[in-house]
Amino acid sequence: MAISITESIRVGLSDFWSRKIRSFVTILGIMLGTMSVIVILAMVNGINKQTLAWMMERGGLAKITIHHNWGYESKKNLPDYFTLKEIFNIRELLPEAQYYNPEMNDWGRLSYLDKSFRTRVQGIVPDFQFIEEWSVDQGRFISQFDIDQNNDVIVIGTKAVEELFGSAEPLGKFINFNSRRLQIIGIMKHRYLKNSFNVGDENSLDYLNWRCFVPISTMINKISGEDKINTLTLKAHSPEEAPDLADKLEEILLNMRQGEPIFDIQSAKEEAQQIEKNAGTFRVVFFLISIISLLVAGIVIINIMLATIQERTREIGIRLAVGARRFDIFIQFLVQTVIVTFIGGLIGTAAGISMLNIVSKYMEFQLIAYPGMVIVALAVAVGVGFLAGIIPAVKAANLDPVQALHYE
Amino acid sequence: MENVIRFENIEKIYDMGKVSVQALRGVSSDIKKGEFVAVIGPSGSGKSTLMHIMGCLDTATTGSYWLEGKEISKMKKNRLSQIRNKQIGFVFQTFNLLPHLNVRRNVELPLMYSGISAGKRYKMAEKVLNDVGLGDRMNHKPSELSGGQRQRVAIARAIVNNPAIILADEPTGNLDTSSGNDILSIFSQLNLTGNTIIIVTHDPAVAQRADRIIRIVDGLIVE
Repeated sequence: MAISITESIRVGLSDFWSRKIRSFVTILGIMLGTMSVIVILAMVNGINKQTLAWMMERGGLAKITIHHNWGYESKKNLPDYFTLKEIFNIRELLPEAQYYNPEMNDWGRLSYLDKSFRTRVQGIVPDFQFIEEWSVDQGRFISQFDIDQNNDVIVIGTKAVEELFGSAEPLGKFINFNSRRLQIIGIMKHRYLKNSFNVGDENSLDYLNWRCFVPISTMINKISGEDKINTLTLKAHSPEEAPDLADKLEEILLNMRQGEPIFDIQSAKEEAQQIEKNAGTFRVVFFLISIISLLVAGIVIINIMLATIQERTREIGIRLAVGARRFDIFIQFLVQTVIVTFIGGLIGTAAGISMLNIVSKYMEFQLIAYPGMVIVALAVAVGVGFLAGIIPAVKAANLDPVQALHYE
Repeated sequence: MENVIRFENIEKIYDMGKVSVQALRGVSSDIKKGEFVAVIGPSGSGKSTLMHIMGCLDTATTGSYWLEGKEISKMKKNRLSQIRNKQIGFVFQTFNLLPHLNVRRNVELPLMYSGISAGKRYKMAEKVLNDVGLGDRMNHKPSELSGGQRQRVAIARAIVNNPAIILADEPTGNLDTSSGNDILSIFSQLNLTGNTIIIVTHDPAVAQRADRIIRIVDGLIVE
């Protein structure tokens, strides 16, 4: 008949109290290890969340972007841009996509009266609003009618408003872009996403607020004078359909350029999957690194327990003499180690979580906790205690009663 | 009267690498229920080895040993633990109490390993401690007691499970004469109430208290 688990825990706890310094050292080791596990897990989670948040802000996971493949040089000197006609062809071949937006950029000086600044003006179509999930705050966006008529209209971002008008009313005013006179018909919504990486601006979407938009036809026919569309964005009906759509696009584009991979296709969904995958790898790698500290703690525990058992050989002999079975002795020491590591794990988890804010502030980088990591950290701490406890406990259980009783 | 202990041709050989030492060279005897027996012999005679085998702390190399009619020699270690727990009460020369447990918890130890509930353990420990005259010291640590008192705690621990035999190994060896006599008186009283008592000693004065003496010299019973 074995003694009950509650009895083992009681014996283990009284051992714990009667050896305060050793227990404290053990707890400290496990605590530090657990703390680093918590911080690491929160850090990887933070990076992951931030990247995904950025992707969601930039059109979501159903978005597909195509532009020139910079890593490839065409052998036959084929064009690395689209013509408007080609875009229509693609659209005909691939009606599954919900939205299409050909994009043609031009750098230049935007001016109003005596004020001016350099910026990028984009020629786009109305689908832009639905792909980027970004529309006007005031006035209206570019319409199909504007495209058909090559209208001289422009929609500007909030930074452009600030730069050219200050507090004056911009709607209806005429501004110049590379000596073309354009009427302001709308102002885009201000974009903001808190940057938690501490590189660049505090607002990681601020560059968008500088952008200005004109009808793509106006851009081609009146501003740049060239039919060279450098970027095409599409949106699938759902993120699930996006990878399939990207595959079909790839085939079409290869056909269009005699099998040469001139264009690069980026599916947000696939990127997100890649990010998830990378985050998973990160998590495992960092996790293993932080486990090393727990392993060190485990080795310390093995040493402490071996010393404890050596010291308590006689006690083990007495227990065996009055009827303890080997399993009782094994459990007594194992429970003791597991209790100590569990307490260490609990304190470490609490300390780790309460440290997250401080670390976030110090590193200016957001660490995000999630419930699962508490379970992971505790399980690892107790697991280490369990593994480290087994060797000493087996040694204790295998002592010979006669020799143990006569141990000095 | 029935035999509580019976052993036949017990040999014990300690294998110490190149040398092997024969501690017992074929001993046979029996002890009846209710007997008070002294096992005496000079040091190195094998009396401690015999005591370890009778106490199921060790097993014989060859030969047979029956405790209350059951053959012990071939039993597994866990079974031996149970026998020590239920059928044998030990009293050692050095008391062997656990220093960080109080008197009551020390006495409760065998009961804990036999799975008796905490409440019942408390009552049983209280009773035997009253029997040995230490009812008022239950919550003291062993270090707060005199040698004689400690040995009385050890006796209380030995009898708390109502064992078939009480095995005492030089129980007065670490005590002054007066305390030693007190302890021996307790053994005599326990014997009067029907307990089987085996005392291992080299002290003839202690052996005199026994009904019968088993004398061991060089691993053989000579008397």
